[in-house]
Amino acid sequence: MHRFLTRALIAGCLTAAAALSALPASAEVRVFACEPEWASLAQEVGGGDVTVYSATHGGQDPHHIRARPSLIAQIRRADLLFCSGAELEIGWLPVLMQRGARIGIQPGQPGHLMAAEHVDVLERPAVIDRSLGDVHASGNPHVHVDPRNIRVLASELAARLGAIDPDRADAYQTRLADFHARWDNATAEWDARAEALRGTPLIVQHAYWAYLFDWLGLERVASMERVAGIPPSAPFLQEVLAHSRSTDVKAIIRANYEPTDAAEWLSERSGLPIVELPSTVGSYPEVSDLFSFFSEILTRLEAIPDQSASVPGFRQPTG
Amino acid sequence: MRTIFQALWATGFSFIVACVALQAHAQDAAPTAEELAAEIQAIKQEYEARIQALEGQLEAMSTAPAQPAQPMASPMGRKTATTDNVFNPAIGLVLDARYSTHSADHDFNPAGFQVGHGSERPLEGLALGHPELALSGNVDDKFFGAATIAMDAHPGESVELALEELYVQTLPGAGLPDGARIKAGRALWTFGYLNEIHLHADDFSDRPLPYRAFLHEAFNDDGLELSYVLPTDIYAEVGGGLFRGGDFPFANSESGTSTLSAYGRIGGDFGRNGAWRIGAYMLAGEAHHRSGGAHDHGHGGEEEEHAHEEGEDAHDHDEEMHHDEDEEMHHDHDEEMHHDEDEEMHHDDEHLHAEEEGPFEWANIDAFVDGEFSGDVTMYAVDARLTWAPTGNPREQEMILQGEVFWRVEDGMYSLPGEYDTPSFSDSTSMGFYVQGIYKLNRNFRVGARYARLSPPDIPACVLHEDHCEHDLATPNLDDSVAYAVMADWTNSEFSRIRLQYNREEVHKFVHGPDPDAVLFVEQDDQILVQYIMSLGAHAAHTF
Ligand SMILES: [Zn+2]
Repeated sequence: MHRFLTRALIAGCLTAAAALSALPASAEVRVFACEPEWASLAQEVGGGDVTVYSATHGGQDPHHIRARPSLIAQIRRADLLFCSGAELEIGWLPVLMQRGARIGIQPGQPGHLMAAEHVDVLERPAVIDRSLGDVHASGNPHVHVDPRNIRVLASELAARLGAIDPDRADAYQTRLADFHARWDNATAEWDARAEALRGTPLIVQHAYWAYLFDWLGLERVASMERVAGIPPSAPFLQEVLAHSRSTDVKAIIRANYEPTDAAEWLSERSGLPIVELPSTVGSYPEVSDLFSFFSEILTRLEAIPDQSASVPGFRQPTG
Repeated sequence: MRTIFQALWATGFSFIVACVALQAHAQDAAPTAEELAAEIQAIKQEYEARIQALEGQLEAMSTAPAQPAQPMASPMGRKTATTDNVFNPAIGLVLDARYSTHSADHDFNPAGFQVGHGSERPLEGLALGHPELALSGNVDDKFFGAATIAMDAHPGESVELALEELYVQTLPGAGLPDGARIKAGRALWTFGYLNEIHLHADDFSDRPLPYRAFLHEAFNDDGLELSYVLPTDIYAEVGGGLFRGGDFPFANSESGTSTLSAYGRIGGDFGRNGAWRIGAYMLAGEAHHRSGGAHDHGHGGEEEEHAHEEGEDAHDHDEEMHHDEDEEMHHDHDEEMHHDEDEEMHHDDEHLHAEEEGPFEWANIDAFVDGEFSGDVTMYAVDARLTWAPTGNPREQEMILQGEVFWRVEDGMYSLPGEYDTPSFSDSTSMGFYVQGIYKLNRNFRVGARYARLSPPDIPACVLHEDHCEHDLATPNLDDSVAYAVMADWTNSEFSRIRLQYNREEVHKFVHGPDPDAVLFVEQDDQILVQYIMSLGAHAAHTF
């Protein structure tokens, strides 16, 4: 038995050797991004000095993700955690953090970057109660749908990367300057396009677009979720329908990952077109980075016909 | 088979030992490993060189961020801190009540298994299920603490509180190597898939057969567990624990440290929207005078007595079995025999007619149910789980396949106290498994099906007769018990769910009585369960 145990121990050591040698030789900063928009930004600022992993893809609802084994493996080795925060990931991130995360990405560390902690959070509720939903208890977490926030976070990210990887701090700052230059140009162009959209009254499915509406000056007439995160109820939809008839609403906005049924129900009865917007980078093949993300949103908003229901065939639901 | 398992476990366990040893070496740089052979020396030296190189790298990385005042070095400054819990500790209350009907008249007593508290069928009629009060929070920067109090609310009686969990576990700030964690106290330990999961998070209203027979619902002994997530691309975790040996299938440990566990798990993704995990587990320890009825958490006798007082239901039921219902039972049993199981029964009958005299064979048979087991118990388990969401959004639609297999080797004796003071030897393997599938149709509706099977020990027991074991006595071929379940549930939000479940159990049982013709029968039980599960307050995020 003793001999057997000794052999088993050797076998164990060999396994450990294999595991350790599987460690990458390069010292690239490993970024664990909760959402694709932050992965994309990390790629812009980190370039070849970082390895970026996105926990979710563009077709997923980031509120509701399974803390699956691959995420534990990825967060286990991450040097920088980059998420939206404001409790968007509360259903899955804490489990991962407890299970696998290193000290360097724990709250308060340079490797712990929550976007919502660095911008003005909208829709912060005065009262916290479950009957008001559970997904936006700390305010609206979808801060990435405003290019001004992206700009702020790019700076913050470059500073964090520099703290984690001081040898390449200059490289991060150089890439940040380059990104900011391109971003400011793009933003100026988007702002010009946005002039025509200002004040457009719209109905949204989920309060995903608060920052977009704030940036573009759009008017949110109603949200189909009375309570953020709880699917629309029939009586409330009736209310929204009545409301949509009495006001000059142009369209219904839903994110690509959201179920279509409620928006279609409302569209059929109100005659309003449904405009599907990409929720993040990667929602459609052509939305490959943050630049194409915002220009695609604008393109789709610009395609809203002027008179509601007057243009037949515009993304009218088939029932 | 057994040897392979042992080798597997020994490897897993030694791996942890090796990791800990390596860590220790890295710290004191004064290796004292004489007890290991020379082959290890070579490996170790190579390691130390490698670890020193890694340490060098780590130092280079960690000295720098210590100079700027941590995250406040940000150009914009932090506007808000939104991630902290508003309340510490987080408090959650699980509300669980149900309505159940059974068609069978008797307790769940599959032949060849010692059943107990957690094996029971849900109480017939309207009753509370398994409400729980859970508290959890970070103790400080190094430790996380949690407690779960289960409320066993017997109708018409005072509520019996059971401390299901009370543990502390290390946080990443505790200074252990990255990926390592120690958990100590009482917890739903790592053994298979469901064992770690709270009952209210199960996909069915009751635990599958093997959990009820082998673990009496769950193994939550007092002890500690070390786990380590490997720094690999694929998810890989190994761990092991040391436990008191007070919870079924172990009992009344003398040393209080008599049970060991080891496990290994790997997992990953398939495609963009699928995930999988498989694991292998071992649990080994000893039982002393283990009886089925009482849930033993290391206070042996006391709690047993307590349970007998409290559990009048169970007591009454036993008496019924002994006296009142004998006739009815034989009647039922006869019917079953004549219609369903003729051939099988004839076979068993032959065995039994072979030896007609003496109370020994009855003592032997009853020992599983009413007797006490003393000896070594080793359990092995393998689990697999696969989830797939068509769009990547498990909230909208999802398919989950899950299965677990258990083996139990008991080496010791079952003995009946009292009038039949006859020890019965048992050195045999029993097995059980279940497979289940859940399909989430949309946000609100899920359906699921489950099949479970329980194979009793090959040689259930023998009777000690003048110091030797007479295997020929009363060893009828025990057949497998099976159970089918289908369920449908409606989920309004993450915090409320209502479920309808139908179970069919076909449990092979021994008849309790001195009639040698009536030894084995199948009791079929059709059950309908309606249950709600809701939660107030904090709601622990579910793991995979
Ligand atoms: Zn949201």
